[in-house]
Amino acid sequence: MTLEGRGLVCDYGPARALDGVSVSADATGALAVFGPNGAGKTTLLKVLSGERKPDAGVVLLDGEPVSGSDPAWRARVGVVSHRTGLYAKLTVGENLRFFAGLHGRAAGRRKADAALKAALDRVGAGALADARVGALSRGERQRVAVARTFLHDPEVVFLDEPFTGLDLGGAALLEAALAELAAAGRIVVLATHDMARGLRLADRFLVLRQGRKALEGAAASHEARDLAAALDGGDGPAAVGPAELSLAPAGIR
Amino acid sequence: MRELRWTWLFAAKDLRAEFRSGGRLPAMAAFVVLAGFLFAVSLDRTQVPGRGVAAGLLWLVVLFAATAGAGRAFDLEDRDGAFRHVLLSPASRSSVFLGKTAANLVLIWIATGLAFFALTAFLGVRSPGSLASHGAVLLPGTVGLAAVGTLFGRVSSHSSLGDTLLPVLAFPLLTPVVFFGATATTRLFLGRPWPEVSGPVRLLWAFALGSLAAGAVLFRHVAEE
Repeated sequence: MTLEGRGLVCDYGPARALDGVSVSADATGALAVFGPNGAGKTTLLKVLSGERKPDAGVVLLDGEPVSGSDPAWRARVGVVSHRTGLYAKLTVGENLRFFAGLHGRAAGRRKADAALKAALDRVGAGALADARVGALSRGERQRVAVARTFLHDPEVVFLDEPFTGLDLGGAALLEAALAELAAAGRIVVLATHDMARGLRLADRFLVLRQGRKALEGAAASHEARDLAAALDGGDGPAAVGPAELSLAPAGIR
Repeated sequence: MRELRWTWLFAAKDLRAEFRSGGRLPAMAAFVVLAGFLFAVSLDRTQVPGRGVAAGLLWLVVLFAATAGAGRAFDLEDRDGAFRHVLLSPASRSSVFLGKTAANLVLIWIATGLAFFALTAFLGVRSPGSLASHGAVLLPGTVGLAAVGTLFGRVSSHSSLGDTLLPVLAFPLLTPVVFFGATATTRLFLGRPWPEVSGPVRLLWAFALGSLAAGAVLFRHVAEE
């Protein structure tokens, strides 16, 4: 299974967020997307997931065009972002049952509850089912948002800064879950500022800069090793931040 | 069948959140009771018979309460990006619209019931028409109000003008509802026979069904930011 974006262009008024980006991700390993704020990472994920229609270019799954206007495509996609997208007035269980229902996964109360519990257990949030979302911490909400994505077993998963707000335990559980997804043959596309983690989780990476592809390669390649080394190297992570790295791909080479 | 299930899911979710948090309903209820009281004390009923103005005031209060409710219908959806995940699900946009309209309708009915009893009590009006006949007039009118309010509630929710835009967009379209609704309700208050009431009611149903259909078709164009 291969997801491709060809010549993707996306404008927000006069500002060009994506400028002819071509990208591909497959089920053999996750793709990590890096770049500074405003580089186009979120827009790229929105376009690939079908949430936003590109102004030019096409998104293909196994060579066939896919679109967010097609409910069958939406049923195959899962999205986790830094905004949790949960209803604060409802409990965790009510939120998950609602979204599972929208995905047609609520047939049979007992079966639905078992799926809900399994999804929450997977992210270490099994005890939160009856808690009001508004009373949860940021990290707990993020765990629930990740659990929601597992409920309908999507074939293609997009994660936009999914580690935001997660504590070490939560991040480790999410990493394990992502590895599980990739091993299960799912396409995983991850946008993050955390290059070290992104390179550890992904098989391939892509660096965006001002809406254009600045660098791409295998996570185990020399470019990626340079990226990781620069991040962990002599100047230290504080001195060489992700913004500098993604702004200077030529220097890394 | 799936459409009905999605509609039900959405309406149930909205009402559960509404009744739990008491977001819009207390504001709508406070408005209708206060409006009824103010009209009652400000009208000189020796000059203006309550029966003559009750219908107009009732529809005016229902219109404002419905608009106030619809203006905040999408607050819950946009607060933490939940609506984004709704739009990313396979649920059809029309079922989302119908679900939200159904939830709005329940709130409008509660406000309408309160307005009816507040106005008749404060103005001292006794309607010769039965409650069922008033319900038969108010039902199609409130369906139209809920459908138009939900559609334009979404438009105004992602406009920089916010709630200010909603009445500007909705009131011109809702003029026929208020006109035919007030006409039919006045006739009921004056004890006219049902055949004199049924004409405006048929027009109210036509408006209600038309606005539901138009909303279901158009909602996908306004749902996304």
